[in-house]
Amino acid sequence: MKAATVIGKNVRRADVLEKVTGEAMYVADIALPGLLYARSKRSNVAHANIRRIDTSRALALPGVKAVLTHENVPRVLHAGSPHPRSASVTPDQYILDNKVRYWGETVAVVAAVSDEIAEEALDLIEIEYEELPALFTVEDAMRPDAPQIHDRGLGGNLVLPPVRVSRGDVARGFAEADLIVEGEYEGGRPTPAYMEPNACMCQWDGNGNLTVWISTQTSFMVRGIMAEVLGLPYHKVRVLCDHMGGGFGAKQDLFQSEFLCALLARETRRPVRLEYTREETFLGGRSRHPVKVWLKQGFKRDGTITARQARMIFNSGAYGSHGPGVTNVGTNGLTSLYRCENVELEGLCIYTNSPIAGAFRGFGVLQATYALDIQMEEAAEKLGLDPAEMKLKTAVRDGDYAPSGHPVVGHGLLDCIQRGMKEVGWAEQRKRTRDTGVQRRGWGIGCEMHGAGAQPAIKEQGNAIVKMNEDGSVVLFTGAANLGTGAHSTLAQIVAEEIGLKFESVAVVHGDTDVVPWDIGAFASHTTSIAGRAAQMAAAEVKRQLLKHAAEQMEVAAGDLEISLGEIRVRGTDRTISVRDAVAARLGIPSLQFVANATNVPHKSYSFAAHFVEVNVDTETGQITVLQVVPVHEIGKVINPIAAAGQIEGGIQQGIGHTLYEDYQIDLKTGRSLNANFVDYKMPLSMDMPPIRTIILETAPDPEGPYGAKGIGEDPIVAIGPAIASAVYDAIGVRFRHYPIKPEQVLAALRAKEVARSTTEEGVHA
Amino acid sequence: MKRQIVSFTVNGEAREIAVAPNRSLLDALRTEAGLTGTKKGCDVGECGSCTIILDGKPVNSCLVLAVEAEGADITTVEGLQAGDGSLHRLQECFIECGAAQCGFCTPGLLVAAKALLDENPSPTIDEIRFAIAGNICRCTGYTKILDAILLAAQPAATARAQGVTP
Ligand code: FES
Ligand code: FES
Repeated sequence: MKAATVIGKNVRRADVLEKVTGEAMYVADIALPGLLYARSKRSNVAHANIRRIDTSRALALPGVKAVLTHENVPRVLHAGSPHPRSASVTPDQYILDNKVRYWGETVAVVAAVSDEIAEEALDLIEIEYEELPALFTVEDAMRPDAPQIHDRGLGGNLVLPPVRVSRGDVARGFAEADLIVEGEYEGGRPTPAYMEPNACMCQWDGNGNLTVWISTQTSFMVRGIMAEVLGLPYHKVRVLCDHMGGGFGAKQDLFQSEFLCALLARETRRPVRLEYTREETFLGGRSRHPVKVWLKQGFKRDGTITARQARMIFNSGAYGSHGPGVTNVGTNGLTSLYRCENVELEGLCIYTNSPIAGAFRGFGVLQATYALDIQMEEAAEKLGLDPAEMKLKTAVRDGDYAPSGHPVVGHGLLDCIQRGMKEVGWAEQRKRTRDTGVQRRGWGIGCEMHGAGAQPAIKEQGNAIVKMNEDGSVVLFTGAANLGTGAHSTLAQIVAEEIGLKFESVAVVHGDTDVVPWDIGAFASHTTSIAGRAAQMAAAEVKRQLLKHAAEQMEVAAGDLEISLGEIRVRGTDRTISVRDAVAARLGIPSLQFVANATNVPHKSYSFAAHFVEVNVDTETGQITVLQVVPVHEIGKVINPIAAAGQIEGGIQQGIGHTLYEDYQIDLKTGRSLNANFVDYKMPLSMDMPPIRTIILETAPDPEGPYGAKGIGEDPIVAIGPAIASAVYDAIGVRFRHYPIKPEQVLAALRAKEVARSTTEEGVHA
Repeated sequence: MKRQIVSFTVNGEAREIAVAPNRSLLDALRTEAGLTGTKKGCDVGECGSCTIILDGKPVNSCLVLAVEAEGADITTVEGLQAGDGSLHRLQECFIECGAAQCGFCTPGLLVAAKALLDENPSPTIDEIRFAIAGNICRCTGYTKILDAILLAAQPAATARAQGVTP
């Protein structure tokens, strides 16, 4: 294979010029003539039937153009998570319902000539609720006598039937064990907190065509579900999404607002923009699923795992959203990472009257890995083994099977662990004398494996069209969303590399469902592998067409030609012709239209990582500070190093957040949100971020990925959590089995440890 | 509410706009002045997306009433480029270092960084961290943003090390 010229290099991202000049238009930046502003009225009860809703005073306010409630919108049951015909769809939502299932749910919308008037009108809407008992915890919702939040016939407030995974013989495995470790682990409710609040704008034309501007990761899903719920053929709905200010998984859902915005626009016959405030982005957005994990494993003296048994309970909140997907992925995630033949797992997903949990970077894998990785540490300690060595010994490798049933390619996980151990001088770190003062430092390791793609639950497909212009430049048409990862530049690099062009010769057209080929959406860390591979396939076909044509011109066989950086050369000679000249019959007119469409039906590939973390624990304040992170990632082939590192650093930021402080909380009496803002919902800021020394390995390329590339998007958020928890243990000898780990909990644990020690010293057995 | 006329200078251009007295400067800039580069991430002074330079100081424009800006001199992200369209060094460095991912925080960060460099042309990394402590970025982990601002400050830092006033 010829040496790569465009991939593996840092390129000047195509979308970034607009971003640094302020010219990039996000939905809220677009104003159409005659625009109306919509605002949402939200419930101040968590669980209730709506007895009466009176909008007459709101409608009478000058400037108000329309008010919608459950009484005047179509009643169509649909899934908020719009993956059609996949295992992860739960149709349990109406555009607006006559029932409220969480505090802050939308009950009405208003469109007015200004946002102030719309806001004012919300207070004039009168609602009478018949309150119902509300259930906020999975324990409450699972009680046999608990009221049903949804009338869907599964019973027990189950979102889906329990997920069960069983293989081998767990009883035999436990019988063979020298040590059994059992524990309960718990994860809080971090939210994606992307910087761009949700926004949507709708306009109908005179022919009944609907255009939707929306910040979404899944334009085609939005088109499909909106068309179906509104009763339109697909070609009458056009979804536009150019720049989006982050999503991290959560902008895969529909948030009621899209339908409402379209209906308001239809009723008023004017364009309508519906934006969420920051508070509403918390209230009506999607969080990670809070989780409870019971995990029990059997170990041989040498660290081999003989059996693994677990029960995971996910809190879905008021609607199913991605609950089924997360429960499947999370439960199956417990079969992975460290080898074990005998496994018995159960995953439950439960409705509660809490905020809706959805897709968020890490998607179940994070919750599973937190428990699994920390329990490995507990076992290593009891067995007197070095945890890194034990993880290395049991790490999945070439020939093993991943949770999806796909084979693991290469020794990626082992490579990551070994490289990181060397990088941080792990052996010496283990041997050092432990701090005893107020400030105590510690090192920890966390591991993860994450699949690129949502197979087998979702039948995925990537598409691309590559079209050559008359000057030899090309346009890539892709449906992949512009989430902020730099994926479009990565795709352009792949196309340039494949044809043999300069990066600058590739333009990317995206964000318009009328123009670009169908795309499953930007999620599941799969854009590079799915859309990238499709782009590569289409590019290869355009190259074939081009070379066939050039070969005729040059009177050689096509197989004798090669292209590099826009020059076609007869192999082994200095006979060249520029791509531009090969394409143009006459200036400005191509001799032929070189164009190709490709469909890629991918399988699934797994990326790996080991994170090494140093923390400081202040034993007087309980404050945990991450001092440095050394993330080692194995991702097959790096197409754009700076973009890959950017994903890793950003993931670590969010991971530090959810491990140490991010937790979206509600009042357990009323369901009212307690910290739906950026002051009370604390996230890592510039002052909180440690130096990150990123190492990327390419040791286990995926033969079916573009140039061997795998995924990176979600990986970095997974391993950092257990790494921090283990580093905290190394520092102060206290094992935390939950996130976030708050300073007051650190202090309480240290105090409890003190008491335990002094009582032991006095010879009293508690 | 009855609108008032407010005049100020934005990015070197004198503007006169009519706004309701309870309207924030952020909304006025975005809606009335048509400068949508400045973003609204929270509208209550928590995220820094709406940072502008007002009479030399970086401020959250969502916390300033438009009428308070009477006579003020304002710089927004749109004012960073030179008249000939060439990029500000900070913009170049943000591109070069990969400091913008989704880009929503980028205008606010660029403006905050400009205010810092105007005041302190060769800041230390900690001074940079502090200067952007009010700007939330959810994508980047800040690493590349810090790199970019440090890189932008380099000529000044180098000049100072050599005893030259930049
Ligand atoms: S929008 Fe002004 S600080 Fe967030
Ligand atoms: S680049 Fe997305 S918030 Fe900063």
